[in-house]
Amino acid sequence: MPRFALAVPAWAWLAIFFVAPVAMVVWFSFGYKPGIFGTHANDVLSFDRYLEALSPTFFATFLNTLWIGLAGTALCLVIGLPVAYWMAVKAPPSRRGLLIALVMVPFWTNFLVRTIGWQVILAPEGWLSTLLQGVGLTDGPLDILYTRTAVLIGVVYNYLPLMILPLYVAFDRVGNPLREASKDLGAGKWRTFARVTLPLARPGVIAGVLLVFIPLMGDYITATVLGGARGNMVGQLVASQFQTAQNWALGSAMAVLLILVIMVTVALGALVVWLVTLPFRSRNRLVLGDAAVAASDAAVDDRELQEVGS
Amino acid sequence: MTNTRKPVRILASESAAKVIRSELSRRRFLSFAAAAGATGLLAACTPGGGTSGAPQPTGGALEDQLSIYTWGDYDNPDVLAAFTDELGPTITLDSFGSNEELISKLVAAKGTSGYDIVVPTGVFIPQMIENGLLQELNLDLIPNLEFMDPAFLGRAWDPDNAYSICKAWGTTGFVYDKNVITRELATWNDFLDAAQNEASGQTSVLDDPGDLTGMYFWANGIDWNTTDEADLAAAEDFLVNTLAPNIAAFDSYPGGAAIPQGTHALMQVWNGDARIGILESPDPDRWQWVFPGPETEIWMDNWALATGAPNPEAAHAFINYVLTPENQLLQLDYIGYHTGATGIEEAAVAAELPMLDLVFFTPEQIETMREGEVNDAQQARVDIWNKTKAAAGA
Repeated sequence: MPRFALAVPAWAWLAIFFVAPVAMVVWFSFGYKPGIFGTHANDVLSFDRYLEALSPTFFATFLNTLWIGLAGTALCLVIGLPVAYWMAVKAPPSRRGLLIALVMVPFWTNFLVRTIGWQVILAPEGWLSTLLQGVGLTDGPLDILYTRTAVLIGVVYNYLPLMILPLYVAFDRVGNPLREASKDLGAGKWRTFARVTLPLARPGVIAGVLLVFIPLMGDYITATVLGGARGNMVGQLVASQFQTAQNWALGSAMAVLLILVIMVTVALGALVVWLVTLPFRSRNRLVLGDAAVAASDAAVDDRELQEVGS
Repeated sequence: MTNTRKPVRILASESAAKVIRSELSRRRFLSFAAAAGATGLLAACTPGGGTSGAPQPTGGALEDQLSIYTWGDYDNPDVLAAFTDELGPTITLDSFGSNEELISKLVAAKGTSGYDIVVPTGVFIPQMIENGLLQELNLDLIPNLEFMDPAFLGRAWDPDNAYSICKAWGTTGFVYDKNVITRELATWNDFLDAAQNEASGQTSVLDDPGDLTGMYFWANGIDWNTTDEADLAAAEDFLVNTLAPNIAAFDSYPGGAAIPQGTHALMQVWNGDARIGILESPDPDRWQWVFPGPETEIWMDNWALATGAPNPEAAHAFINYVLTPENQLLQLDYIGYHTGATGIEEAAVAAELPMLDLVFFTPEQIETMREGEVNDAQQARVDIWNKTKAAAGA
């Protein structure tokens, strides 16, 4: 059996359920809506739908979405990083299984139901509002539901586990010996974290950020339930084009633009991180001179000799 | 995908055969055949075959399932449960927030939506029939039609009730929080004014293109079915640039959560939903329902059968079941809309149901109600609604 045969199911799956639908969406996006009861037609191809989607009215929603996406991801990172570090490093190993289970528990409940739970909590007549007024922290009823803040609370709550889990795995993999070595060589707690643990956990950070940012940008439920008119996101815009307006062409153009916005944002983010860390990395670099190379050659020779000898 | 292909055999007249052969790609056939069944395909291909493809129900045994696609919270759960207990079919409910949403699902499915009963608003019915989204009812299986008030049958959009039977009718008004808005509101102009002042940022409007644009036209004494481009442009300008920044939510059912939870101070709402919300509110005196002048909407939602309905027998049995006077009263008690049954107002008064002023209207009030139209401006209204939604989030 040829080696690639093992990958055939994965490729087939990808082709049928990813490449083909996305290709159709891209194709629809160049078409137009033919009439009240038609959804799309492609006999005349144009970029008009893209211009429509980029008109100021709709573009504001793209900016809104980007804001929620970036802020939500940043908040998840800020909250998730210490939690994951604590779980992987500080918490007693015997408890780790339990802690991971606790992070996972919300996933056992339906996404929509969890989000509606927040609607009840944040309502002006909800218990949180009554409590805050009772304690005297706020004057009037809570005015958060159906705002961007409510959406932000919702997405952080919904996506936080997706940030914590990869970070936990990454911190766990760094392992204690390297941290001990760093301390032995005179680095303090923060220095060890910044120069040893965090750089080694980088794949986890990247995975967490992508796992949160990408689905968050396309989120539709959280914004619909908690956002009202103010927390409008592109996901809703696309859904309403397909479901109510029946304008598949415009909906597709918006969906394609969303994909592009996500790709460009991720690329820009990567670039910014690369530039910011550039000075640190150049300082970190250890240049091995001839002596070092010779020494390491010698070391290799030694080891070989030992292996032969043993 | 690995099945060996079996040739499809179609018996057709010689003249039709050529057309069928050229028209019928395999893919199209599959989607169509699933929709209509083999007999329906033949019927549809003959000239004048009509759109009613699925086998006509003849009063045979009921299927054990029934799927209803309707407006949110629009049936008394007791009636649904009693139907299942007495006659067997398990009911699956799904809900939509606007006729456009219903239509888009039926259009996309091309007769394979799996829904049996759908509940479109009357004015959308002619075009839905024309586009093959609805199939004819077999009125022989609905003898309880006799309990309906003839005033609510035979409407212009379906004169013989061949496709639809009145389910409920009502109007569009608004509800406001008397703690926030202390003056008295009476018209759509008051609504739009309060939305920009006291209730700015605490206003919700119906998530429905017709009602959103309608509000502006009713307030300004313009026929809300206008196709005049200047009128539509003026509506767009007002809704997108002036009203949108004050809108907090597009909510078709504030009665479900927003009124009981006190989320908004001013809400455009359908009368029955307003009644549900106020009845469920812990502080009902806080809310004021307004039947707004100078004009407002009248709509009638109808029981209808989706093309390709998989359970037509159960669907007919259900419609017939709901039309009995006892069930009509139960429905009214729950949803708060006039169901069109004969003598239902007297029955409701006799049963001492609460807040009937939100259910029954005086002849003078009915005179100011205007029915919508699905016309050339439909697309423009949907566009305005889309832009208003986007602008409200900006």
